[in-house]
Amino acid sequence: MTVAPALGGTVARHGQVWFVRDGEPVAVSRTAPAMPGLLRALLAGPTRAERAKGLRSAIPAGTDVRELTIARRVVTVDLGGRFAAGRDEASLTSRVGQLVRTFRAVPGVVGVRIRVEGGVPVGLFPGYDLRRTIRAPLASRSAPSLRDTQQLLADLGFMARTGVTGRPGDETSVAVLAFEKWTGMPRDGVLGAAVVKALARATRPEPVRRAPGKRVELLLDRQVALAIVNDRVERVFHISSGSSGRTPTGSFHVYRKERLSWSVPFSVWMPWASYFTGGIAFHEYSYVPAYPASHGCVRMMARDAPLMYAFATTGTPVDVLRGRA
Amino acid sequence: MRHRRLRRVRNRRAVLVIAVCAIAAAPLAAQAAQSPAPPAAAPPSPLSTAVVALGLRDPSLDAGVVRGGEVVLARGFEVELARLLVRRLGAHLARFVELRPAARIVAGGASSWQLGLAGIEPSPQGRATGVLSDPYLTTDAAVVLRRHLPRPRSIADLRGHVLCAVRGGDEARAIATVVRPKAAPLLATGLDRLREQLRTGACDVAVVPAVDTGRFLRGHGAELGPAAGRIPSGRGFVVAVARGGGLDVTAVNAVLQQMRNDGTLGRLARTWLGLDPASLRVLR
Repeated sequence: MTVAPALGGTVARHGQVWFVRDGEPVAVSRTAPAMPGLLRALLAGPTRAERAKGLRSAIPAGTDVRELTIARRVVTVDLGGRFAAGRDEASLTSRVGQLVRTFRAVPGVVGVRIRVEGGVPVGLFPGYDLRRTIRAPLASRSAPSLRDTQQLLADLGFMARTGVTGRPGDETSVAVLAFEKWTGMPRDGVLGAAVVKALARATRPEPVRRAPGKRVELLLDRQVALAIVNDRVERVFHISSGSSGRTPTGSFHVYRKERLSWSVPFSVWMPWASYFTGGIAFHEYSYVPAYPASHGCVRMMARDAPLMYAFATTGTPVDVLRGRA
Repeated sequence: MRHRRLRRVRNRRAVLVIAVCAIAAAPLAAQAAQSPAPPAAAPPSPLSTAVVALGLRDPSLDAGVVRGGEVVLARGFEVELARLLVRRLGAHLARFVELRPAARIVAGGASSWQLGLAGIEPSPQGRATGVLSDPYLTTDAAVVLRRHLPRPRSIADLRGHVLCAVRGGDEARAIATVVRPKAAPLLATGLDRLREQLRTGACDVAVVPAVDTGRFLRGHGAELGPAAGRIPSGRGFVVAVARGGGLDVTAVNAVLQQMRNDGTLGRLARTWLGLDPASLRVLR
């Protein structure tokens, strides 16, 4: 390894080297006399104990260092051809990330230039333009932004696209609650790590029954209503149906709609009411808990009730099902 | 003061670049003016060594390490195709060079290379110059389904579904002009986002560049449905053959046809792109 004289003064006694675990970057401490020592530690890969904990290096074993220099707080590292070996895009991207993270963790270093066999790698490492100095590694995928998560919820049909704002709020919580209900997770409406992980592999809900046209399925076990068009679930709504089995199961049709309905037995206004059997209707209500709580009607959130009212026109089939089975 | 000096240096450089370009372009322009029609095909001199120009951009198509304009550690579909092509033309591959931007390859003129494989997708005018081969790789739009969606048999079968494509791409245009779906398509910012839309079921059918289909599906086969066909565009990537470089397009076309017939092109595509776009059923 050729080391430029300027590098001798750059001492990093306790440095970090970066490896990967399940594709995600992980830092470990190393005591190295200077930057070349850190690089050697990185290329040597994780220790046996670290490997036992699942740490791996995407940098191919046997990668040699041709030259390491630093100028204007930018590290330039020239590696042997093995660094570019293989065709797995995730691995190729990870190994650049490992290098950049390791050098950027050294105080004072602002960027990294990577060379292979004395030349500039072009198109070899997806996501990185190595013609330029790399100032930061690509963002990790394990921690999506709130906006990304909202986008996923909208893609899956748990939220309207207008709710993708990047800001936290009630709409996101309700969408998360509907998602939790659908997937059988604990119903708390909190966007935690478990929800994010589940969202990353979730697919759009499928209707229980198959039938053409526009219809609604109400799943009492999951406490959600599905708005379906031609067997495609357009939206999943968080609802609260009748407690103690007061919402009857069966196949019905919306037969009456009232923009503002007065409930005689309970003396309460029910906005956006769509009646589908007897006195049972979808309607807006101020309190929509995660469990069956009504006297038989289907309570909906203030934001969702007008959407269901517009969707479930008179004659729209409504299937009330105990569950998916 | 320093800024002013910098600006002056930059201006001087710009003038220099323009002057160099003008000087370089003058003989070409004169040549073009003197011979508006393509020159009569001269008998090609035998080619012993070939220099191939690449337009590095993509780990699957062509990528490498550039050292002083020369491409070392080159790899990818086009790189392997170039190696085989040169060998079958009876020549020896001397080296790869990088040409940026790749569009310069089509501009013709005196060149330091004999063949150019750089994802060149010519306009009809470009093809008429006689220095471009027949397509070796289709650039049609491929149709990838979400899971559990029945396979379409025709373009008409796609119309009832929610389609998605990358915003501003040829595929988005193909949806608007060829498929014409009933519902407005979803337009994504990139292939990753497009894959997410398809995986989640936000859209039923993703329309992606045929050459990227293998990569689009790679590692996500369990989350997505199959590539069910392609929407023909009649376009594709072609080889640029330098004028006066000892080769003519006819010979290149003959070798490409041979490679197509014996399955070499398909094998290369499967190896590097993950899928041979030509193997996808054409939807009409």
